[in-house]
Amino acid sequence: MDSQRLGSYASKWSLHIVLIVICLATVFPFLWMFSTMLKPADEIFTKDIQILPRTLEWANFSRALDIFPVLRWTWNSFGLSIIITAGKLLISVPAAYAFSRLHFRFKPLLFAVVLVTMIVPGVVTTVPNYVMINHFGWLNTWIGVIIPSLPGTAFYVFLLRQNMMTLPQELVDAGRVDGAGTYRILWDIIIPNVKPTIAVVTILSFLGAWNQYLWPLLVLSGFENRTLATGMPFFTGNAESAQMWGPMMATAAMAALPPLIVYAIFQKQIINAFVTSGIKG
Amino acid sequence: MENTSASLPTIARPRQHERVHVAHISLAGRIGKQMESLAPYMLLLPLVSLILLFVYWPLVYSFYLSFFDWNFVTANKPFVGFDNFTRMWNDRRFLESLNGTWKYFVILVPIQVFLPLGLALMLWPIRKSRMQNTYRFVLFSPTVIAYSVAAVLWLWIFNPLQGVLNKVLIDFGFERINWLSDPDVAIWSIVIVASWKTIGFHLLLYLAALEAVPTDVIEAASIDGASNWETMKSIRFPLITPTFFFVLVTTVISVNDDVFGAINVLTDGGPFNSTSNIVYYLYEQGFVFFQIGSASAVSVIVFIATALLTWVQFRFGERFVHYG
Repeated sequence: MDSQRLGSYASKWSLHIVLIVICLATVFPFLWMFSTMLKPADEIFTKDIQILPRTLEWANFSRALDIFPVLRWTWNSFGLSIIITAGKLLISVPAAYAFSRLHFRFKPLLFAVVLVTMIVPGVVTTVPNYVMINHFGWLNTWIGVIIPSLPGTAFYVFLLRQNMMTLPQELVDAGRVDGAGTYRILWDIIIPNVKPTIAVVTILSFLGAWNQYLWPLLVLSGFENRTLATGMPFFTGNAESAQMWGPMMATAAMAALPPLIVYAIFQKQIINAFVTSGIKG
Repeated sequence: MENTSASLPTIARPRQHERVHVAHISLAGRIGKQMESLAPYMLLLPLVSLILLFVYWPLVYSFYLSFFDWNFVTANKPFVGFDNFTRMWNDRRFLESLNGTWKYFVILVPIQVFLPLGLALMLWPIRKSRMQNTYRFVLFSPTVIAYSVAAVLWLWIFNPLQGVLNKVLIDFGFERINWLSDPDVAIWSIVIVASWKTIGFHLLLYLAALEAVPTDVIEAASIDGASNWETMKSIRFPLITPTFFFVLVTTVISVNDDVFGAINVLTDGGPFNSTSNIVYYLYEQGFVFFQIGSASAVSVIVFIATALLTWVQFRFGERFVHYG
């Protein structure tokens, strides 16, 4: 009895130890980023490993701003992400409502049209879309980044639809009796009842837009127009700034912190959405 | 006498009649009714039209573009038939990128499918401990940052002279490794970054699936005297096979697309094209060499290959997936 309990304790502890080691390895690149961005140059280039900065050097941030328009990139990242998120909600919520609660012809076909986009690799549409955007005169404009990014919502439509399907029909019927039409019901009854899922979709699409890489990299050229994610390669592309690890890590932190903070705050909601949506393949 | 079934609609009829009557009078009401029947289509119009314009049309358009020799700038596009499709088989860079694509498949698919499953099975027994939240938070954190940012963090770690990894190696008496410029090593560096970046998401899916297994099933099994491992093997595992299948399908589809960000920032496909894959080759043809026709031909091939892979997986996946 006792030895059995001891054994289960031991196995539990060894499990924790293994997990702690894996977690330390996972979190190390972040810790190293924070450590490097706060070190003066002579502490960055040392012979031995120096884990923590001896003196906190915030000058890496102002130096990053001197080399590249990092504040402008931050502004572009926020602006584009907010507009793309709003746009995605605006098109995916009504679509999920139609797919979950309304009856109409071609519903299975249209749903398939939406879902199949999930298996189209993004890179396949990049070349023709680039040619098209150029044709529209949208190169180097926000609209050229935003509009082609909007259709990437199949997963969100799916999440919202799953949630909307679970709402009881009586709720909708009560609205009908009160004389509410299809649109009213969406606004007054459906949306208030799926707010948590809408919140999750908002968070996920914000993260997605903030981290978008290839498409804005191609559409937005020039120093000023880039976002934080697409501006990072400027550091590595230039022999001089490629050695400025302090400012580079400071910029990386500015790009990494907003999504990390959003994730830290909403971790529970994000995980719950996956659990309740019943993703079963 | 069949009235029993017909009587139900007659009760509802007066109200409907009233509405029709009102619609006769006001034009607004008539339009309103029209709008009501069109509502589903109106609600879908923005999404579906954007999808048609920016996902389906580009597929057709890239097929069209693949028949021309065009450098994006000149006005004339000479028609070259299937030349773009045949020429690439003589292109060394293309063949090397195919080799890379294959390597990423073989190395990364097992890592991205089984490692998170293993982690999920380790985290599951301690789900009631507060530490589980911390572990989960840490393991998922790399997935929320941009690929380019992740790549820059690792660029610093992999740096041959000042990077922390080589400093550790030298401290322990090993030789310095050229993580990104040695053609035999570079692909493994990309694999490390890609695994670091994507494992957290799959872990979350597996944990969600484990959580969704009804507890009464597990209790019934343990009352019957099944051991932990037995319940895991015979109950929990069959119930999470749909998630396993989902992870497998999405990994196979997206793995070569996913590593693009890491390749682009860390190695640019080098050294000697050793870290390139078909997605990077496509990007290179289109946006480095501006060979739109050849890039479009690669797009077509990638799309057809993806569709085939998905179909094959669904065809054979159905056999072992238990939809409960």
